[in-house]
This record gives sequence, structure tokens and C-alpha cells, in this order.
Amino acid sequence: MSAVGIRLEGISKRFAHRVKGEVYAVRDVSLTVQPAELLTLLGPSGCGKTTTLRMIAGFEQPDAGRVFIGEQDVTGLMANQRNIGFVFQNYALFPHLSVFENVAYGLRVQRQPEQEIARAVGDVLALVGLQGYDRQFPNQLSGGEQQRVALARAIVIRPRVLLFDEPLSNLDAKLRVHMRGELRELQQRLRISAVYVTHDQEEAMAISDRIAVMHQGQIVQEGTAESLYRHPGSEFVAQFIGRTNLLSGRVRSAGPGEIELEVAGQHLRLPGDAERATAGQILRLVVRPEVIELRPADSPDGIAGTIVSRTFLGEKAEYQVRVGADLLQVTSYNPVQRGLFTVGQPVRLHFPAEGIQLLPGGPA
Amino acid sequence: MTSIAAARTDGWRRTLRDPALFVTVFILWALLALFILFPLAKLLARTFLDGGQITLGNLVAILRDVNHRQAFWNSLLLAALVGLCGTVLGFVYAFAAVRANLSRAWITVLDAASLLPLISPPFTTAIAMIYSFGPRGLITYHLLGIKGFTVYGLHSTLFSETLTYFPIAYLTLKPILAGIDPNVEDMAFSLGSSRWRVFRTVTLPLTVPGLANAFLLLFAASLADFATPLILAGNSFPVLPTQAYLQITGLFDLKGGAVLSFVLLVPALVVYLLQRFWVSRKYYVTITGKVGAQTTIKSLAPWARAPLLGACLLLAGVVLYFYVLLFYASVVVALGANHAWTWRHYQVIFTEGLKAIRDTLVIAGAGMPLGGLYGILLGYLVAKKIFPGRQAMEIVSMINYALPGTIVGIAYLIAFNDPPIVLTGTALIIVACYVFRYSPTGIRATVALLQQIDPSIEEASQGLGAGSGTTFRRITLPLILPAFFAGLGVVFIRSMTAISATIFLVSINWTLITVRILENMTELSLGPAAAFSVLVVVIVFAVIVAISGLLRRFRTPGAVDMTSILGG
Repeated sequence: MSAVGIRLEGISKRFAHRVKGEVYAVRDVSLTVQPAELLTLLGPSGCGKTTTLRMIAGFEQPDAGRVFIGEQDVTGLMANQRNIGFVFQNYALFPHLSVFENVAYGLRVQRQPEQEIARAVGDVLALVGLQGYDRQFPNQLSGGEQQRVALARAIVIRPRVLLFDEPLSNLDAKLRVHMRGELRELQQRLRISAVYVTHDQEEAMAISDRIAVMHQGQIVQEGTAESLYRHPGSEFVAQFIGRTNLLSGRVRSAGPGEIELEVAGQHLRLPGDAERATAGQILRLVVRPEVIELRPADSPDGIAGTIVSRTFLGEKAEYQVRVGADLLQVTSYNPVQRGLFTVGQPVRLHFPAEGIQLLPGGPA
Repeated sequence: MTSIAAARTDGWRRTLRDPALFVTVFILWALLALFILFPLAKLLARTFLDGGQITLGNLVAILRDVNHRQAFWNSLLLAALVGLCGTVLGFVYAFAAVRANLSRAWITVLDAASLLPLISPPFTTAIAMIYSFGPRGLITYHLLGIKGFTVYGLHSTLFSETLTYFPIAYLTLKPILAGIDPNVEDMAFSLGSSRWRVFRTVTLPLTVPGLANAFLLLFAASLADFATPLILAGNSFPVLPTQAYLQITGLFDLKGGAVLSFVLLVPALVVYLLQRFWVSRKYYVTITGKVGAQTTIKSLAPWARAPLLGACLLLAGVVLYFYVLLFYASVVVALGANHAWTWRHYQVIFTEGLKAIRDTLVIAGAGMPLGGLYGILLGYLVAKKIFPGRQAMEIVSMINYALPGTIVGIAYLIAFNDPPIVLTGTALIIVACYVFRYSPTGIRATVALLQQIDPSIEEASQGLGAGSGTTFRRITLPLILPAFFAGLGVVFIRSMTAISATIFLVSINWTLITVRILENMTELSLGPAAAFSVLVVVIVFAVIVAISGLLRRFRTPGAVDMTSILGG
């Protein structure tokens, strides 16, 4: 069976809100998941990512738009007619059924022969590393084991797509990292398209082929983890993916290949596109903590600042540096060799041009 | 506004589109109207209508009688005292069970002593009281040699009702005390509090809503109790339920009985509403992240443990003594006078009394499946389906449960005595009375279970390809099966032990064991009364064991515990 993709065409979902009246949980979302791709819907809680996932599954009906799985329009189909595998945040195991019966449930619904069920369930339990757990009940399992049962139950029916609703959020940190590796490996082995919902940007970056960042019911940016990190299209994405410093700068002059900005009352020359800026315009600078280089106060160029705090973490040191009224995060890797700065010490901050993303507008 | 209106029309549309739902809702409403609303309306009509005119004349006439006014105040006084004493005893008992680091064996003894009064027919403590403290009482006359001690009056009624109802307080308070994380108490210790201070400033305040709840439950139980005061209150201490009963059976004054039961209805309703909608919302939720580390409970000083345990054992001892006495009375010729061993009383109940036993078992046996089915059906609809009048249905279904039995009995008597619907003298009227009065326990258990079942479990089934029918059959139904067993168990037990409502509904054709016990007692043949009581306790106990077994078999996380259901 070759993998099929998913396509959303302008789907919207409204809910009646007690105070605000009708509100859009999801507004005009269009999205394509390539066959065998793992796409993550990433966003803060209430951004509509779970509602989007539930519309793909058929647990919610969109008020507008269409849902395609492969080439089939499934918009009007109930969840039980879509042939999907869904993994719930709380696993939703059937508490009165054994592990075997939980996994066999979907096959029994399909009225598969008993022999086939036993074989398929045995195979999939082996696949998720749960041999010998057949007779256990869900309440006898640890969180990680329950997670595996939920996964086995979802994939045993050979669904066309796999849908994950924050499947790892009930596990502790270490297990979470381990299980996301397993999930990813399994998804690639089965070559099955998957949509994964999470609010954890690190998890999203670790597991996904592509990430769609959602905010207030809409997709604000799509791309690989790297492209989202390096070229955030908005302050929201910049702040949601990784840590970031946001600075305002006024364009003083825009010459060929170089922009001169006034940042925190000081001048900063950046090599960059003159076409993107005109003199007097306010720009926002997205500066990742690890691209800023701290240099001694007597070095040329850069912006003057003062070290406010220092956290030494071995492979890196994290500084807070006061620049004018702003407090910047600066991460310095390999600090033992590169030298540590002390609190209260004046420094100069050097911004390498390729590490800075300029965004239009914002408060001056 | 528009969304509410939209939701309404949506509800109608869904109801009409799902014919099975529509028919079920319709049938349930018809039953609720017939067996709950109609009798209540007839009762109110009898109270406030005179020759087609609305009048307060009946009410005024009854309240003008100083005896009736006295009965009203007596009822409130008794209920308040029972509420107070029972709550204190229940708290002491619960505190010992939860906070005194008792071994399992001790807790089993305490639990057994608290279970007995809950599963007994209504007169058991009253019979034992008369044997112990009556004119020829074992304790007052034989042991202490007191002559002329009057067992009848407020003191005995209070004592007997407190013993009968304190288990309700115990069952209410135990989970609350157990729910207080010992780590919270440890925290208070670590901040320098003494044990007494921890109790006063942490443990007790967290229990206050539970105490209020227990008080109101006991207040309601005492207010509605008809059997105990009938035997023990005597002429000097009239209370409302007995007055209403005597008005009807003694004076054949149906209107007077109706008015008196209306007078009883007002405080009963106030207490019910307070309990349901005020106190139950005041519970503290102990918010802690994960379950705290295991800690030994330190809230009880070592020197305080012995007196506390002593008090509990004394209480358990009194209860057990009463039941041993009851059993002893059933196997001797005449307790207090002739202690020769005999099976005569059992011969009596299995010959003369056989009809009552058979009738009771038939009625309880018929009511059991009907009540269980009605309970999960209504509970499922109320918890899971959207249809117009859903909340009203839930409230109406609770009415007969909340009202004192005397009111329900008189209302049924008035409603089903005349055309259009004549049910007087049939078994149906008794079965209906029990089903609609005692199924709310099953309804609540169903709703509670369904609320614990995460909607995603049903969605998971749907996502695996199952339709709504398969999902209900394979997932939902097995999960609410415990509520079904619990519901039918309660209907059976109450059918065996209740009297306050059905005393008005028995006839030559259909009678009940509890009514025969009352008749025996008024004829002063206490032996057969004791034998009947023992029989009921044995049958009910056997049923509880059977149902507990079933509940264990179908145990699912969050399943209900049989004993916890008997409390409320």
C-alpha cells in the first residue's frame, strides 16, 4: 500500500463562546501533507491545532472547506468511515479491555477472522515492544506502556493516515524524548502520512519533516524546522520557535549592500538589502542569543552594553546584557576557551549580519 | 442569544432525527409525569383547592390545631438534634477509620457495625430499644432495677435515630477525610503547629463542607423517618409523619393527611435544595500535583488514640448489641420474661407471614430490573444526549427521592385511588413507588460513571471504525454496568426495608414484610417482629454480597462501591 497525503482546503470551525459569542477556532486553513510526510501543527494552547486535527479525523465537522485523504473527499464522512489511526493525548484506552482486546478492537469491528486478529495483534505488539503484555489491563501499565498500546491500537488497522494529538505530553521529560524517537522511526518504517499536534517547539523540531505554526486559528508559517528558525516571518514565529531577542531599530541610511540602523541610541551597520528599507523606517531585529558575539569594551564596532547576569552551564554560558533600556539574552558556547565575562563588565555586542532577520514595523 | 436559540433548534432537530431517542425520551417523560408529577399535583390540589377555589383554608385549619403546630416544631427539633449528634458520631467514627492508623481488621469491624443499620428494616433499633429500656427492659428493669422508666419520648427517638442514621454521616465524611492529603498536614506540622492546632486549623476546616452535608442528610432522614417515632415517640412527642399517618389511618381524613404532609414538604425541600445546590458546591478540591509521597499519618496524638478508639468501639458495640438482642429475641419465647429456646416465631412468619414474605420478594424482584434499567437509561440520556428538557428531566426524576416517604405515599394514595387511573390495591402501585423513589441512586451512579469516561474513549472506538451502535454496545455499556448493578441493588434493598411511603399503599392483596412488622409490634407480638427483621437483614445482606461480587467482577477504574451507595 503506497502512502497517501492529506489536503485541507479552506476549512473553518466556529464555536459558540459563552462570553464572546461565535468565535473561530479554525479559520480558513489550507494545508497539504505529502505522502509519507510527518507534518506538525505547532502553536500555543487555543490556537486551533487540535480542532484542525479533529476535523481531519472526522470527530468535528468543518463549517466550511473540504478535507481530502488521498484523492478522496472525506468531508462528509464520519470518523469510523475514514480509516484513520488516532493517538489521543490521554491515550483513551478502553479500561475494561485487556491490552490484546484493546489492540484487536479495530480488527474485530472489521470482522477479521480470529486467526488473522491474533497474528496481527501479536505482530504489532512486538513492533512496539510489548510482547507478553496481552493479558494486562490498561490500569496495570505505566504511562509509557499505555502510550505504546495506544500506538499499537492505532496502527494495527493499517490506517491511511496517522493522527497524533499531543501524544507525549503525559510522559515525563526523559521518556518523552525517547518515545518521540520511536514514533518517528515507526512512522518512517510504515511509510505513512502523519499529522502531529504539539505545543512543544523542541518536540516539533525533533520529529517533523515540516512544521505548520498556528496562531489564533490560522497557519502563520509553514516550513522545515531550519527555515522557520532562520527565517521567521513574524515576531510570533520568531518568539515561538527557539529563544530570541527582539530589538527595534530606526533606519538611518540604506546604502548599497549596507544598512545603517540606530538601535538603542547607538549606531549599527549591517550588511543587507538596501531595497528592503528606506531611511526613517522602523524595523524589528530578530537576533538569536547564540549569534551575538561578546567582545571586550575597547573593540571597534558593535553596540555597547553591560553584563547584568551570568549563568555558567558547562558547554555554554548564558548572559543577560543591558543595552540601553533593553535586556538581551546572549549565549556563548565553549566559554571556558573563549573567556568568561563578569557581571558589571562593559562589553560590545557584535551582530553578524547573516544571523539577523529584519522584520518590518513594530513599536519604536 | 442566537447561538442559544440555534442550540435549541439543533436539539429538537437531533431529537427528531433520531427516532429511538425520541421514543425513549417520550416514554420516560410519560412515566415521570404519571408517577411523579401527577401524584404531586394531586397532593397540592388536595391541599390548596376547595370546590375548585384556591384557598389557604385547609392549611390554616391544620395549623390552628396546637397539636399539629407542636408536631411541626417537634419534627424540626428532632431532626436538628439527630443531625447534630449523628454528624458528631459519624465524624469521630470516620476520623478513627481514616486517621488513626488502624489495622484492616479494626476497620472491617467499624465498617460492619456501620453497615448494619443501613440494611435493616426500619423498626429494628426501636424493637431493641423496647427490649432494653422498656417497662420490662433488660437494662432498665432487670439490670439496673429501675421501675417506671419511660422509654417513649424524645430521648429514645433521638437515641434510636442517631444510631440508625450516623452511618450516613460516616459514609459522607470518610472519603472527605481520606481525601485530605496527609502531606498538607505534614506541611502544617513543619510550620510549627501542634497536633491540636493542625486539627483545628487544617483538618477540620477542610472537612466543614462535608460536615454541613452530613448534617443536612441526617436532618432530612430524621425529618422523613416515620417508623422510629411511631414506635418510640409516644403521645407526648408527636411528629409530622406519624401525625399524617394517624390522620389518614385513624381518622380517615385524607385531606388532613395531605395538608400535614405538605407542611412536612416545605422543610424537606429546603434542606434538599441546600444540600444539593449549596453545600455540595462548597467542597474543597485539594489541589496537589502528583500524589504526595507516602507518609505516616501523625494527626492523632498517641494518648488520644485510645479514647477515640474506645468511643468508636462503644458505638459499634451498642449497634452490635442491638442486633444480637434482636436475633436473640427471635429465638426465645418472650425476651425479658421467658428465655426458653424456640423456633416458634420463625414458624409463625413462615406460615401466617408467608404471604407477606412472598409479596415482598415478588415486588422487590419486579422492581429490581425495572429500577436498574430505568436508572441507566435515564442516566445515560441525561449525561450523554442532547434533547429539549434534559435538565428538567433530571430534576423531576429526583423529586420522589428527595421527598419524605410519607408525602410520596399519601400523594400516590390520593392520585391513584380514583379514575382515570386506579391502581390502589395492586402490586403495580407499590413497585412504581419503589422504582421512582429509589432509582435516582442508579441514575446518579450512571451519570457519575459516564462523566468519568472521557469522551475520547468513545471517539477512539469511532476512529477504529466502529459505528455508534457498536461503540455503545462494546464500550459504553460495559463501562456503566456497575451503575446498573448498584441501581438495581438499591431498589431491591429499599423494597425490602422501606415502609414510610408504602404503608399507605398496601392492601389485602399485596402486603409487605415491613408492614407486618409494624402490625406485630402494635399487637405487642415482638417475637415474630424480631424474626421478620432478622429475615430481612439476612436476605438483604445476601443480596449485597452478591452485588458486591458482581461489581468486583465488572470492576473498572472508578467503579462505585456498594456500601458508599447506601449512604445517600
